[in-house]
Amino acid sequence: MKKYLILLMAVCAVFGFSACGDSSSSNSGGSSSSSSAASSSSSSQKENTDSEKKTFTVGFDAEYPPYGYMDDNGEYTGFDLELAEAVCELEGWELVKTPINWDGKDMQLNSGAIDCIWNGFTMNGREDDYTFSIPYVDNSQVMVVAEDSGINSLSDLSGKTVGVQAASAALTLLQSDEEGGQKALADTFASLQEFPDYNSSFVELQAGSIDAVAMDIGVANYQLKTRGEGFKILDEVLNSEQYAIGFKKGNTELCDIVNKDIEILTDNGKVAELAEKYDISDLLCLEAK
Amino acid sequence: MSFSTILFQLGSGMLKSMGIFLWTIVLSLPLGLFVSFGRMSKNNTLRNIVKVYISIMRGTPLMLQLMIVYYSPFLLFGMNIKSFRFPAIIIGFAINYAAYFAEIFRSGIESMPVGQYEAARILGYGKKQTFIKIILPQVIKRILPSVTNEVITLVKDTSLAFSLAYMEMFSIAKQIVAKESTFMPFIVAAIFYYIFNFVVATFMEQIENKLSYYR
Repeated sequence: MKKYLILLMAVCAVFGFSACGDSSSSNSGGSSSSSSAASSSSSSQKENTDSEKKTFTVGFDAEYPPYGYMDDNGEYTGFDLELAEAVCELEGWELVKTPINWDGKDMQLNSGAIDCIWNGFTMNGREDDYTFSIPYVDNSQVMVVAEDSGINSLSDLSGKTVGVQAASAALTLLQSDEEGGQKALADTFASLQEFPDYNSSFVELQAGSIDAVAMDIGVANYQLKTRGEGFKILDEVLNSEQYAIGFKKGNTELCDIVNKDIEILTDNGKVAELAEKYDISDLLCLEAK
Repeated sequence: MSFSTILFQLGSGMLKSMGIFLWTIVLSLPLGLFVSFGRMSKNNTLRNIVKVYISIMRGTPLMLQLMIVYYSPFLLFGMNIKSFRFPAIIIGFAINYAAYFAEIFRSGIESMPVGQYEAARILGYGKKQTFIKIILPQVIKRILPSVTNEVITLVKDTSLAFSLAYMEMFSIAKQIVAKESTFMPFIVAAIFYYIFNFVVATFMEQIENKLSYYR
């Protein structure tokens, strides 16, 4: 018994500590520099040396291609993350990519666990809850249906079951009865089914247990590209809206720095280049001066 | 993403799952023993407090407990929870599993015939000596099958850490699924979990065999 206990402890020490080390490095980034970018002033940042590098912690949903996801090598990448990387290069910050649970994003942001939400984050309707950067992508919420479903317009969805991601902008839109909201449309559905991720909603769409899925057009394009035939996007869109970077309400200091950098990156063509790479050039709403 | 990358990513997630598993075992087994003492205490207040604790831990979902442990320092005290993710997961798992282990320990300890305590006293054993040298070794033998049950459940429960966005195997499998748009990574993850549990079950069986010295 004792022998096993010692063995167990030894194994535990090895895995436990390694896991612990991993988590602190991936979650809190350079834990040595306790001051986050949020509390720093813009003027001194460029003089920072490596030992005193400011960290810039971006919270993102790692299941949200093409804006933030795991690439072929197992690294987190995407349009938004590469743009964040470019901002960090300009400022001399160290980028910490923290995957978050989309449901828990407010708690993460308000508690200071992340500096911003930068992940295809719809600003419309959320203006009161966050300090937003300048919008960078024109997004619209669309409906994806099976190609042979015979559904060609939003009115065809009457009496159908529609899927949507939990806590997503599409869900808010379908529940909003304010101007521009689509609650009236949603009321014609047989039911509105919330899903934790797009993959399960697509499988259900394929299996026929739901008839349509509401999602952001960029995500819809990616899904259709990787899944191939069998789906289509309805021409009628639910709304048009913008993506911006969400900072904690009142954190205008950090927001201003990032805004300025995004303008620089737009002017020098970096933004357009990244949009090209991730196939979202049509959606980009930043223009070089 | 190539299959070998998927294996590698899931493998690294597996190490984190194992980290949760091993830390939880090491912390919750001793804690469970002490909780079981509290549960069997002659002191009414202590016994009732422990009863309420066990009742809450068993009566609410582990996923919610994890979220409460992780977010409450911020919600209650406004603390920064940046590097609290892993500790919160371990605390959440340990206090939850300690409650289950406590009841298992209690079942073992209470199944011991009073005659053994009487015989020990006549032979001049003190209370502590009686427990450590005579009662506990038998208790461990008796409760091993139930403990194995819990331990195997724990392996699978580590996947609940995804709710705090901790990058253990299940979270990573979900991300790869999102990227690749296929369910295949889930199958691979299932095989990983099965292998892990197979090793754990075999290990527990070995201990059981080692301890069955009277057969």
